[in-house]
Amino acid sequence: MNISGYAAIIFGSIFVNNFLLARFLGLCPFIGVSKRTDEAVGMGMAVTFVMTLASAVTWLLYNYLLLPGAETGHNIMSFIMGNEVNLVPILKNVSYILVIAALVQLVEITMRKISPALYRALGIYLPLITTNCAVMGVALLNTTDAPRRFSFVEATLQGFAAGIGFMMAMLLMSAIRERLALADVPRSMKGVPVAFICTALIALSFLGFAGILGAG
Amino acid sequence: MVRSGRRKKGVRLREELTKGIFKQNPVISLTPLGLCPTLAVTTSLKNGIAMGLAATAVLVSSNFIISSFKRFIPREVRIPCYIVVIATFVTIVELVMKAMLPPALNQQLGIFVPLIVVNCIILGRAEAFASKNTVGASLLDGIGMGAGFTLALAVISSIRELLGSGAIWGYPISLSYLPAAVMVMAPGAFLVLGLLLGAYNLVMGARQAGGKAPEQICLCCAPRRSEAEER
Amino acid sequence: MELGFIIGSIFVMLGLGAIFGAGLAVASAKLKVDRDPRIDELMDLLPGVNCGACGLSGCEAMAKALLAGNAEPSECALIPPDVAERVAEVAGTDVGQRQKRVAVVLCRAKDVGRRHDYSGLSDCSAAALLQGGPTDCVYACIGLGTCADVCPFEAITMGEDELPRVDPEKCVACGKCVQVCPRNIISLLSVEKYVHVLCSSHDKGGQVRKLCEAGCIACKLCEKACEFDAIKVEDCIAKIDYEKCTLCGKCVEACPRGIIRDIRIDQHWPKATDEVTAAEVKSGE
Repeated sequence: MNISGYAAIIFGSIFVNNFLLARFLGLCPFIGVSKRTDEAVGMGMAVTFVMTLASAVTWLLYNYLLLPGAETGHNIMSFIMGNEVNLVPILKNVSYILVIAALVQLVEITMRKISPALYRALGIYLPLITTNCAVMGVALLNTTDAPRRFSFVEATLQGFAAGIGFMMAMLLMSAIRERLALADVPRSMKGVPVAFICTALIALSFLGFAGILGAG
Repeated sequence: MVRSGRRKKGVRLREELTKGIFKQNPVISLTPLGLCPTLAVTTSLKNGIAMGLAATAVLVSSNFIISSFKRFIPREVRIPCYIVVIATFVTIVELVMKAMLPPALNQQLGIFVPLIVVNCIILGRAEAFASKNTVGASLLDGIGMGAGFTLALAVISSIRELLGSGAIWGYPISLSYLPAAVMVMAPGAFLVLGLLLGAYNLVMGARQAGGKAPEQICLCCAPRRSEAEER
Repeated sequence: MELGFIIGSIFVMLGLGAIFGAGLAVASAKLKVDRDPRIDELMDLLPGVNCGACGLSGCEAMAKALLAGNAEPSECALIPPDVAERVAEVAGTDVGQRQKRVAVVLCRAKDVGRRHDYSGLSDCSAAALLQGGPTDCVYACIGLGTCADVCPFEAITMGEDELPRVDPEKCVACGKCVQVCPRNIISLLSVEKYVHVLCSSHDKGGQVRKLCEAGCIACKLCEKACEFDAIKVEDCIAKIDYEKCTLCGKCVEACPRGIIRDIRIDQHWPKATDEVTAAEVKSGE
């Protein structure tokens, strides 16, 4: 795979198909956490980290355990269950979420030991990453719902770029919401509703990226 | 007024069922939950209702199982347990949908059916309600919340489909203007949801005397907090 | 085929569960952070609001400092004396003398010139962003009351002179006003040392003379007047060393511009002492 292919993946995941503004993934923490810039950056970095790791591990899971041995030629369990068994539709949800939950727990344990300051800064947001649609979404988009079979590097790269795009959108939103807090908004629209209107406008501007990478 | 015990129970049960529809609607209330599918699949009424019913099925089943086994699940590992139960039911629902619904519908719903696993509503209700209440109440709660979710999706998707494609449930309606394609794309989704939330706040604010702007609190704490306020 | 599905599913899930379970168990054992159980006990006693009034970054930091002997329970502004004693018991320290601190705004901005007419968001941070702020002196209090807005204890009010007034009884020195002031002129200082230099300007004396009547011109008359070596002019501004200051008030008398003041009088603290010193009389002008 050449550089332009990788660049297309990166640009695509950050701008053209921004996970938050175009694919609607990761909205739950977006509204809850993006009120202040420092929280948004912290959450964004943690999510990016988990997304990259999750992309890598789920790719391995998909290619070496779930896909039938007949297709890939290297299913670890083929000696037990045979070459034709396609476990993907049955096990993808459960195994992917197990991977993600375990990864988040691992990240929490490691961070607590290595950087207690960062751990304290992220606080409750760390366990919330488990239920982040973006993490599970990117795992699915890399494997089962991908337009073509991705290589390990492509999948991990897409996970990383998706996280960066997510963080960028959260940063934009938090900067706007900080200023919005001082503005005179009608009482019923204060808070979440007007934040959504702003998101609509940002999403509208991001539509301008569509078509830059050619068809598809 | 003195109420007999049985009558009071009936009133309570009905309340469990209906609270999810308007007063504590998971999507449109104080802190919106389950936003990812709400915005992504509501491009047409058919999609919206399909997603709503799928999520309701998962919610009811997982509430049932979690409530039945609540005594056996240790507190420290409860969240992973709930998630695995929910994931199992999502897989079942997904396979059923793939088998029984037209392929076009399945394709439009795309990854959002598997993403029901991480839908904040289902995990939130499991954590806040099913783990603490009887099986019967949990079932009703699941039905109620699911109905509220489906209702919210139906409202949003009908608005978007009407304004964006000039149709309802696939049947074109002749409008005197060209439909705005942006409504079925990302910006339209955010716009409709924002305005709908504002309208909800307006209605709820009008109901409570002197209601102030609702404060946004941590999402996973929201059901717990409103539960405490109820008592 | 069907048997393959079942066997495959069971083995894959068992395998994953075993690997992750073992992995997490090993990780949590190997990366274990040794935590003194007394920390949790202390944190239960401490208020847990992480206000920062003690000067540390939250209640957990306070618990750790208590156990290390670097802090005393009385430094927590929010616990009553009986809880403080219990905390002292658990931590094995003395209760200590509470050193209450209050926020002091080090500026009097008397008639400081305005560069432009600011009409925008009524917020000091916003005003400070626009061309360096509306006041001629860049160290002056802008007066739009963001510190008063942000105070969770309603201890700050804006006076008629557009300067903040801090109520020492409500202020717990949480530091929110310090963080939010765009000019960084609010400091948390001990209540017991009530003589302060109410100016934060580092501009040279000649320039200050043009900008503000209440600005420090670094004339060093205070430095010469002090017998305890407690006040020095550094970087074009007078600074008090509170460890050496004995509150004698000589600097207050010596200052030709009346910038060094007794803030009990300046800020109209509720219980004024009966002693009237020359310093207090001068401050009251």
